[in-house]
Amino acid sequence: MNTATQISTRAMIDEQDLHITTMRSAGQLIKRSLINTRRLPSAFIPTLAMPIFNMVSFSGTFFALTKLPGFPTDRSVNWFMPLGLAMGAAFSGVGLGFSLIRDLENGFYDRLRMSPTSRISLIVGPVLATWIRVTLVAIFVFIVGGLLGARPTAGVLSYVCSLVAALGISTIGAGWGLGLAFRFQDMRGAAIMQMSIFLTMFMSTAQVPLDVMTGWLHTVARVNPVTNIFRLSRSGWVNESSSGYMSWSNVYGGLIAIAVLSVLSLLFAVRSLQKIDK
Amino acid sequence: MSNSPIIAEDLVRHFDDVQAVKGINLEVKAGEIFGFLGPNGAGKSTVVRMLTTLLRPTSGTARVAGFDVVKDADEVRRSIGVALQDAAIDPLMTGAELLSLQAVLYGIPSAMMKKRADELLERVGLTAAASRRVSTYSGGMRRRLDLALSLIHQPTVLFLDEPTTGLDPMSRLTLWEEVRRLNKEGTTVMLTTQYLEEADQLADRIAIIDHGKIVREGKPVDLKASVGAPTLIIKTNIDQAEKAKTVLSTFGDLRPGAEGALGVGLRGGASQVTDVVRKLDEAGVHVQHLEINEPSLDDVFAEATGYRLEGSDNAPSAGDNGDEEPAKKKSRRGRK
Amino acid sequence: MTKNSIRQTLALGKRSTLELFRQPALVVPSMIFPLFFSFLGNSSFGRTTSLPGFPKVSSYLQFQLAGTIVQGVLFGSVTGAAALATDIENGFFDRLLASPTSRTGILFGRLAGSVLFGAFSTAVFIFALLPFGADVSAGIRGIIAMIISGALISLAVGALMSSVALKTGSSEAVQGTFPLLFILLFFSSAFFPRETMSGIYATIAGFNPISHLVEGIRALSLDGFTASATARAVLVPLAIAIVALVIANSQLNKRLRSN
Repeated sequence: MNTATQISTRAMIDEQDLHITTMRSAGQLIKRSLINTRRLPSAFIPTLAMPIFNMVSFSGTFFALTKLPGFPTDRSVNWFMPLGLAMGAAFSGVGLGFSLIRDLENGFYDRLRMSPTSRISLIVGPVLATWIRVTLVAIFVFIVGGLLGARPTAGVLSYVCSLVAALGISTIGAGWGLGLAFRFQDMRGAAIMQMSIFLTMFMSTAQVPLDVMTGWLHTVARVNPVTNIFRLSRSGWVNESSSGYMSWSNVYGGLIAIAVLSVLSLLFAVRSLQKIDK
Repeated sequence: MSNSPIIAEDLVRHFDDVQAVKGINLEVKAGEIFGFLGPNGAGKSTVVRMLTTLLRPTSGTARVAGFDVVKDADEVRRSIGVALQDAAIDPLMTGAELLSLQAVLYGIPSAMMKKRADELLERVGLTAAASRRVSTYSGGMRRRLDLALSLIHQPTVLFLDEPTTGLDPMSRLTLWEEVRRLNKEGTTVMLTTQYLEEADQLADRIAIIDHGKIVREGKPVDLKASVGAPTLIIKTNIDQAEKAKTVLSTFGDLRPGAEGALGVGLRGGASQVTDVVRKLDEAGVHVQHLEINEPSLDDVFAEATGYRLEGSDNAPSAGDNGDEEPAKKKSRRGRK
Repeated sequence: MTKNSIRQTLALGKRSTLELFRQPALVVPSMIFPLFFSFLGNSSFGRTTSLPGFPKVSSYLQFQLAGTIVQGVLFGSVTGAAALATDIENGFFDRLLASPTSRTGILFGRLAGSVLFGAFSTAVFIFALLPFGADVSAGIRGIIAMIISGALISLAVGALMSSVALKTGSSEAVQGTFPLLFILLFFSSAFFPRETMSGIYATIAGFNPISHLVEGIRALSLDGFTASATARAVLVPLAIAIVALVIANSQLNKRLRSN
């Protein structure tokens, strides 16, 4: 490799449009992430099994809830399927943080960081791969939920709203997980990710609607933005007569919560990545 | 300003309260193979991580391939190739997949990608293994893939971080050959290693770092000469030993030799051997065996750092003495 | 047991107990999580206590106390058994075997830590939740019976988990039973009475041993210090503990023979 060919390679690289390079890099990182999922399914199976377990066990164990006066649906699967999906999505999101920690620990991430590709693609690529995984989880959950008796009350929109909520939660979880992984660079980060996501999810309307709650939980859940996301996710699964039924006013709060929290968590991830060499 | 491909000026790096690198100056000239040595924990990896844009210096500057490692990090990244210690390679991917990922990350146009990848696979002898998962590769194959990955964008400066640690002697020789070939083609190489023989074989110049400071720098031959005189060892009949000692002591200090052999540090260098032999002959001493031992890099290293590295004679194990480098502690916890 | 083997058992028991209590990072989560769940449940399910099928309780927390205790003891026992597996992995176990220590002393010494931990965490849950309305109808005698019950449950689960540790010799395998415990817990009457569950779930919960462990303690906190409540709370875990110890002992002997 003489100096002349080195220079010509450089020239060809320089000619590339920066945006194209970013997109191609992101695309390659999506590919890598999906290849890893396919070749190491044992890491993906828990994210598939957990929402199912969640949905199945909660629907049966907490069946009595639907008997409460004013409970928005009489099918407990309808109520708990969006929760299962949300849990699966959240853990797919933070799971990205877990695999990042592995990459950081074994040094593979140094390779990515030493490349001149845009830092954005290092984050966008894996997040998009998570979306693909979450969509697969959602399809699986919808099928099993349907078999268990979950019935949409707003047709296709029911599925769309739940999927959008799940993608949103996974994005927020991914940003948060990546950011913490960049900061801690070891399994301490993973413990914080899991705990914080778990607590935030459950201190919302994850288990019961606001008007069923009493005491401190009611106060916390009312201001927890995750409550808005659950309202969005369940809007097509509650009774048409219920106040949470599919309507613009029940949906937009969730969309805003997703947009704002996603931006914040992804910014956190980008900032943390920029600080990693400090 | 000099346009040498690697220049570090007063480079300093702290981790919290630990001063890992305490102000080092380095210049690697174009076309050189530069060996960078030091005991574990001396700051070797920290310096390399700063030069390769992975770690920001606390103070001081460094220019690699003409670009500032902080201000023009992306330009530096485009110009350098780095083969990492332990060859951190995703075991679930195949060699070909990793090469195409690397190519895209370095902005190689799609049209060139396949050709480049094939050339490199050929070059490191992995063509047949390209579509196998990396988890099935041997240690030597991983290092060669790592080298291929670092060459995808034809870098002008190549960093090799302990490229042969843990390899069998054959694989080591293959890798050395490849490094020499790359260097002959014009690539500047900075090599960190804990094998002194490797540095001696490959490097045009070396630097030794200890406790975050450069303690020796120069050509291996000069450094060896600086340690002291080569040792001449002779064997003779026991009854002639006293006579021989008298002759030898006129050339330098007597040194102990094994099993009745006599040694002397040649004050005037190896070229005095003929004089010694003549004088011994004149004195009637019959020489049965004669050898001359040049000081080795091992001696240089031991003298500079107080350690002898693993694998060298009477090594009091350097690794146990120094803690792991702070740089690794911070960013690569859990390895090894 | 000879005097010597008792001394050995005590020494090993002390070690396993200290080991548990000196690693708060391992023990604390098994206390915090059940407490969090019970406060969450109290706020979430407070209104359900008036539904048909629900026993007469002063608060959901009072109902939930038993579930919280069993949950905490289950998770804590995994930690103890994982420590045994680690002993096997890092060779400490072999060193014990190479010494003239009595074989049963090795097992009982390890389980002594679990028993103490079970009693301790049961007491912590009772006194942490008492001020928030988790009344124990059976009074102080009931609390003592509950602590004994907690210790026996811990012994039973600890022995079962130790069997896994002895059989596999891998702490990862022991940790791997964690999701299984989670599933058992959620398909039991730990959170809601069996009477309120729908068809198949009620049947599963009926067969689930966790339900019976929970319901024994629950009888003490809801029904008062009656003979039947005490018997359920103590005898059910005792019976399971005896079976589990037999299994663990046979696993120990198998491991001894294969060595």
